[in-house]
Amino acid sequence: MIYLTLFWEYFKIGLFTIGGGYAMLPMVQQIIAKYGWLTDAELINFIGVAESTPGPFAINLATFVGMTVGKTTSLGIFGGFLGAITATVAVVLPSLVIIIVVMNLFQKFKTSKYVQGALCGIRPVVVGLILSAVLTVGCAVILPNLDFTNINAEGFSQFNWISLVIMAAFFPLSRLKIKGKKIHPIILILSAAAVGIVIFGVFKVQQ
Amino acid sequence: MKEKTQKRRYEVTLWQLFVTFFKLGAFTFGGGYAMIALLEEELVAKKRWITSADMLDMVVIAESTPGVIAVNTATSVGYRTHGVSGAIIATLGVVLPSFVIIAALSFAIEAFQDNTWYKAAFTGIQACVGILIVNAFVKMAGQLERDWFSAILLIAAFACATFTKFNVIYLIMIGAVIGIAYTLIKNKVAQKKQAADGISGDSDSGEASLDNAPQDEDAAGGSDDGDGAAQSSAENFNGDGAAPQSSDEEVKK
Repeated sequence: MIYLTLFWEYFKIGLFTIGGGYAMLPMVQQIIAKYGWLTDAELINFIGVAESTPGPFAINLATFVGMTVGKTTSLGIFGGFLGAITATVAVVLPSLVIIIVVMNLFQKFKTSKYVQGALCGIRPVVVGLILSAVLTVGCAVILPNLDFTNINAEGFSQFNWISLVIMAAFFPLSRLKIKGKKIHPIILILSAAAVGIVIFGVFKVQQ
Repeated sequence: MKEKTQKRRYEVTLWQLFVTFFKLGAFTFGGGYAMIALLEEELVAKKRWITSADMLDMVVIAESTPGVIAVNTATSVGYRTHGVSGAIIATLGVVLPSFVIIAALSFAIEAFQDNTWYKAAFTGIQACVGILIVNAFVKMAGQLERDWFSAILLIAAFACATFTKFNVIYLIMIGAVIGIAYTLIKNKVAQKKQAADGISGDSDSGEASLDNAPQDEDAAGGSDDGDGAAQSSAENFNGDGAAPQSSDEEVKK
């Protein structure tokens, strides 16, 4: 039953995401690969959409994955909504319960050696996982055939150098501060879309 | 503080909670931290539902419990102001706008998927998304403690997640176990040290244990044997933590 799988996988993701939306990414990458729910490229496209729509990034992602998976069932659109509800509820449920418990034990929680210890181990692991997402997402864009768990010559057969150039151009832009404020991600995404349309749409450049 | 909470508890109606968080969900882009800044303005400064000290506590909870930071904050504010039903309503409010927007968008995405212009735009967007993730990494890495312990865990987790198919959830669990072991040992070593020579030079024991840390991390990092690796490295930490104290036999136990 696909909804049970969806619920269980997203429940686990909700339970183990510490430190916000991007920390969830490596887990989502793993489950979509495991079940073949989305391709890497679809996921990366959707990250662009999630960043430019309101609401928490991780919730957007859960809703979208649930919707996509649900639509593949015989229930059609209705199945899509059901999938979206399933994934969204599943991802929120663990923290809802945990927070209600923690709010009641806050003083104990704050000073607990175990909680502090666990967090001091989890934080660097999560940052390491995001670094892994940096590399895998970056490579999915530039070297779409490369599989890090099985590196071979075929992985380098396609090299999207234009994407690499766009990335190189956007990195300094994303760090740029105008009047002490960074450029908002939405503006970056929209300008990247415009650049994409000009290069690949108007001039029809092949990668 | 408890007393104050009790008194204030039902000053806020469920409907107000729902509307406030629905608005926050509908108008904050980028999630988590962007929302916390808005919440502070809205709930502490304007509506005075909660004090800024309460707010700080809630941010700590939101960051250190599992889940999405924006949603966690909504849940805790809801709970603080209106109990369990408040928690559920605030969570629902903050999630609902995303849900509706994304559900609608997913149809558009499906419809345009094969459109040339759509594809061209998203080829550009993909490159930009790569950069956004780099920035998320830079930001989170900047908040880490700058010590060998963090660096080694980070690299080990990175290597496992990138080059093996090892489940990342286990990596997080292993991280938690190692972190608990490390903290307990560090505290114990510091205590012994203090007991041993009265006024202690803390930095000494800290640095010495760092030198030894790499070996056991490699064990956890390079292998796929899950909990076994975590246990053994936790064990090793015990040894390492104690090693600098080699003069004190009893620490090794």
